[in-house]
Amino acid sequence: MHSKKNRVIPINRSEGDLEIHLEMENDRVVEARSVGTMYRGFENLLKGRAPLDGLVITPRICGICSTAQLKAAVKALDMIADVRIPDDAIRVRNLTLMTEQMQNDLRHAFLLFTPDFTSPAYREHPLFEEAVKRYRPLQGETVVHTIRETKKVIEIIAILGGQWPHSSFMVPGGVVSVPGQNDISQCRSLLANFRHWYERRVLGCSLARWAEVRTLEDLDIWLDEDEAHREGEVGFFIRFARETNLHELGKGHGNFICFGAFEKPGKSAMNRSENAPYLFPPGFFLDGQVAPFNQEKITEDVTFSHFESHGRPRHPYEETTVVEPPASDSEAYSWGKAPRYDGYPAETGPLAELVMASNPLIKGILDREGPSVFLRQLARLVRPTFLLPVMDCWLKETGVGNEIFYRKNEQQENGQGFGLIEAHRGALGHWVTLEHGKISQYQVITPTAWNASPRDANGIRGPWEEALIGTLVKNPEHPVEIGHTIRSFDPCMVCCVHTIRGHARRTTARIFC
Amino acid sequence: MSTTLYWIQGGGCGGDTWSFLNAESPDLTELFDILSIEPLWHPSLSALDLKSKEKLDRRILSGEQSLDILCVEGSVLQGPSGSGLADTLQGKPKKDLIAALASKAQYVIAVGTCASYGGFGTDQETEATGMQFHKHSFGGFLGKRYRSKSGLPVINLPGCPCHNDILAGTLSMVINDVPLELNENHSPLDWYRIMVHQGCTRNEYHEYRVEEKQFGEKGCLFFYMGCQGPLVTGPCNKILWNRRSSKTRVGVPCFGCTHTDFPQQYPFFKTRNIEGIPIELPAGVSRAHYMAYKGMAAAAAPKRLIKRKSGI
Ligand code: SF4
Repeated sequence: MHSKKNRVIPINRSEGDLEIHLEMENDRVVEARSVGTMYRGFENLLKGRAPLDGLVITPRICGICSTAQLKAAVKALDMIADVRIPDDAIRVRNLTLMTEQMQNDLRHAFLLFTPDFTSPAYREHPLFEEAVKRYRPLQGETVVHTIRETKKVIEIIAILGGQWPHSSFMVPGGVVSVPGQNDISQCRSLLANFRHWYERRVLGCSLARWAEVRTLEDLDIWLDEDEAHREGEVGFFIRFARETNLHELGKGHGNFICFGAFEKPGKSAMNRSENAPYLFPPGFFLDGQVAPFNQEKITEDVTFSHFESHGRPRHPYEETTVVEPPASDSEAYSWGKAPRYDGYPAETGPLAELVMASNPLIKGILDREGPSVFLRQLARLVRPTFLLPVMDCWLKETGVGNEIFYRKNEQQENGQGFGLIEAHRGALGHWVTLEHGKISQYQVITPTAWNASPRDANGIRGPWEEALIGTLVKNPEHPVEIGHTIRSFDPCMVCCVHTIRGHARRTTARIFC
Repeated sequence: MSTTLYWIQGGGCGGDTWSFLNAESPDLTELFDILSIEPLWHPSLSALDLKSKEKLDRRILSGEQSLDILCVEGSVLQGPSGSGLADTLQGKPKKDLIAALASKAQYVIAVGTCASYGGFGTDQETEATGMQFHKHSFGGFLGKRYRSKSGLPVINLPGCPCHNDILAGTLSMVINDVPLELNENHSPLDWYRIMVHQGCTRNEYHEYRVEEKQFGEKGCLFFYMGCQGPLVTGPCNKILWNRRSSKTRVGVPCFGCTHTDFPQQYPFFKTRNIEGIPIELPAGVSRAHYMAYKGMAAAAAPKRLIKRKSGI
């Protein structure tokens, strides 16, 4: 016999742009709806404006990934201007984005994700006291260190781009700044300091030692090998997660999408070993296979969104954003649209990137256990290990040749272009159309739009809706499982889960995006 | 006695919160210690469960729990069609909670341009507005007559984002009972009487009218590239960003993000001019004198500047 219950299940942190509506049976999630609760209208705000205005306006979509928005915006304009970007500008664009990404990954991990380990739900957990010591909001040791170290490393963005957040230093043809060797050496020191902290406190070992961990067995050996490995944040996370079975939580569809991260400059010491154009290649992963990526296969479905529909999902070049105000008799439930690739929903983020890159450890765990809260967080925690050495190499090379950071180009009156990049939470795309010297069409698909997507016309759930199905909530007073699952996708800022007593087994989760 | 602080986010990007985390000496956690701030709630940093959060809201609204400082980040979204449904909290328009909390707070601080003046979306279907200003007109969401319990109107800390030092300094003044002098747009004069232009490393170029006409040329950005440094107030080039630099220092024109009407309706990256003469001249100058001075200054420009020998 099924027992359907209404319960009040409160969890921490509740305010923002996203809610999850859950239906529960016997404490298990049987249905989930991801509800975007805020609409800011950026795409319409850009219409009719001058072509370069997107460089100022789109970074304001998101305060923690403003450099990523800037890069997607500028790439669309580069394409329209048909200009080749000088190597040094590619380096500066990537270095600033990588810095923002590391900042994001660690703040997400220790300010937003792990505070859930201090939930009363874990009072009996053997590592509870240690977790409280590390992750108590605004006071935990790791929280304090993370605030300190991340704000220092983002000084790199200020040196190269003027300020963080919200600068507009990337322009079609390159970047406006012309950093000298005095600036570069400051950046190198900041990076070295950050790396030192990351190796010592987060990883608990050198990047070189970590690179040897290629299988789950290696991971066990690594963990046993040294006290420092167990006490580092990665080691502690693994121990806490194992004890909690986070590798069985939050599975999802298992489809992944990646737009390709960090195009390499033409000439670089880094290119000697391999000649792939990206650090993390683009691709679409379905049924265990990586298919080549083609942006024409992307569509947006608005069947369940508060926007006017045109009868069929449309490519972002054609898609418009016309509000259809929320009404009680409508089946629409979200301010978010449902992006699809070749008709499929897809998960995006660090895990997707490492899957496309066929990283042995991450891909190996995926093949054995499938996607999970554990694997998503592990991918995010160790992503800086791939970025740090490359950043060091590119910084050394910046401005040593002929110091070209900008290539002159004609501003176009008409044209179409897209900028597809990997932001910190995954695939980010801007699609821009210019007519008569003005923006006539601007569509943005953010990573969270992929992950938090509502259903599509075929009733197929979005990635985190799917990931929630079947979740057993052990302690309805503190449904940490729901929070872990949603937060493992790194919803833009913060999320909270709670259920409301109301008509028909409805529970609600809130996430800030 | 500790000071209670409640932070609420409306239509915004979270950038003011992330900027606040940039605070240094004291950093955010030290600042809260020094000023004995008790953060009742912050959507990104608190770990209250929802029941306790709802209880907290109820206690504040009933007067049981005192609320000393309410920080608002992001605009108030009143649309579509006045419904407030563009931004909801458990199905209810968030604007209602903002209004209720503002009626209980000793001080209300609008953190950032969106909360201060509306910022992004003021002319859109989201009907964004500022707490007590709608762009340059006084009134906004709470109306002209609104005063917080301390007797002050909403304190506006514009900037996109608001600089962490300004917020930290304002909190410190409010908590230590240092009188705040506000300008006509209700921003503290201590940070908003200096022009963005003051302290820019390109000042010498500006002085001799050595101008940048194309990105990366290293010159002043005022005549062609749309820099608003001499037109708007803000301490960007005095206190610097992330303790390192500023947009104008690296060659990004000032976009006037502290201005009541930010984002402007005309194009960025371009100075509006009539036959090569900017329509807007530095705040307060006489056009005739300024043009005569600039003409002579350009003629007197030293070669090392024209050749960009300073490397800035
Ligand atoms: S670039 Fe802007 S802020 Fe700097 S000197 Fe020129 S006008 Fe002033």
